[in-house]
Amino acid sequence: MKYVDEFRDAELGRAVAAEILSLVEPGRHYKVMEVCGGHTHSIYKYGIDDLLPANVELVHGPGCPVCVIPMGRVDDGIALALGEGVIFTCFGDMMRVPGSNGSLLDAKADGADIRMVYSPLDALRIAKQNPDREVVFFAIGFETTAPSTALTLKRARAEGVENFSCMCSHVTIVPPLRALLESPDLRLDGFIGPGHVSTIVGARPFEFIPADYGKPVAIAGFEPLDILQAIVLILRQLAEGRCEVENQYKRVVPYEGNLRALEVMAEVFELRPHFEWRGLGFISHSGLRISDAYAELDAERRFSVPGVRVADPKACQCGEVLKGVIKPWECKVFGTACTPERPIGTCMVSSEGACAAYYNFGRFAREREVV
Amino acid sequence: MSESAVFCDERHCITCGDDGEPMTVVAIDPARGLALCADVSGSRATVETALVEPVALGDVLLVHAGTAIAHGAS
Repeated sequence: MKYVDEFRDAELGRAVAAEILSLVEPGRHYKVMEVCGGHTHSIYKYGIDDLLPANVELVHGPGCPVCVIPMGRVDDGIALALGEGVIFTCFGDMMRVPGSNGSLLDAKADGADIRMVYSPLDALRIAKQNPDREVVFFAIGFETTAPSTALTLKRARAEGVENFSCMCSHVTIVPPLRALLESPDLRLDGFIGPGHVSTIVGARPFEFIPADYGKPVAIAGFEPLDILQAIVLILRQLAEGRCEVENQYKRVVPYEGNLRALEVMAEVFELRPHFEWRGLGFISHSGLRISDAYAELDAERRFSVPGVRVADPKACQCGEVLKGVIKPWECKVFGTACTPERPIGTCMVSSEGACAAYYNFGRFAREREVV
Repeated sequence: MSESAVFCDERHCITCGDDGEPMTVVAIDPARGLALCADVSGSRATVETALVEPVALGDVLLVHAGTAIAHGAS
């Protein structure tokens, strides 16, 4: 398959793994955070961690859009979905995220009209097909997904679709990274930067990481060789005493990002003063809401939502997993009370979540040999 | 659901996963800013092209959540 096979070549992979081995100092422990849930998924799907020396540890970051949605937000979505005449639409993984009284999937089983969509455009199509119903789209995701929602809201207005609105839970990647870097209980040596978020925002927003915190960043694609090469770039910077943002994913990530996407986001969204992240608490300027200019398309203004903050379940340690403080298997309920079929925490819902990635791909072996 | 090529299965929601799907443009509706695109298996989906215009037949686009976010083969 063109554009894919080249990045899964086993011989090249072994060569890059050997280069990684040559770059590490014996006796030094390296902790590299992959920011994006898509990277976490690839790492366990392809067994990339098994190719690394034992002293290179990959730490899973907060970049799974589903994993960071707090319970109260799910409750708000369910409250909207139960409204009279409402068709509630959301992405697939969001259906299984537990709220304080069950998930959207449970609400659907109880009779609410909740439908899975693959894009905001699908939700708009449902609205046009059901002009006598109110169709609400539950928008989640980082900067990769936010432009798609913004374009759909502009299209809804342009086409005069009045029964469509959006519950906006989009988040931005830089504020949680800064919060993690300020965290006293986490020591990291470098970051694998998010590939598709960077397609939109570019490389520039990550420059604060080397500038303010002295950590290297390598923006990477999602194929096995992409991730291995990003690790080489980070280790080489550390070996040479350099510290900068490097772009391994130049084939789709321009330095300045996608300016049209940034413009449409700036037109349709504005930053919330603060937004609650699952396990991380409230982070300033980390969430997006629909701007006043598009107020009529904001489901939270059109309908009443509870907006109640719900504490995470006591047994759940998603917060520590999202911060990379503990590994998924170190959580008290991992694989027992909390499984992908019956998740307690969000990290077990989406396969981009660190817990589900471990669980699904059977990475239970904790002892590895040096390559 | 629909003709979308952005498929999910029980273990992976590719929109939630920040995935980008390389898709080839097979028809264009410039007036509406949309294109019909096919993935490598031939499945087709309607895609927003506002962020990557101009597009031409045969272009490979990186598609996320029904929106082309980059020219995928560049």
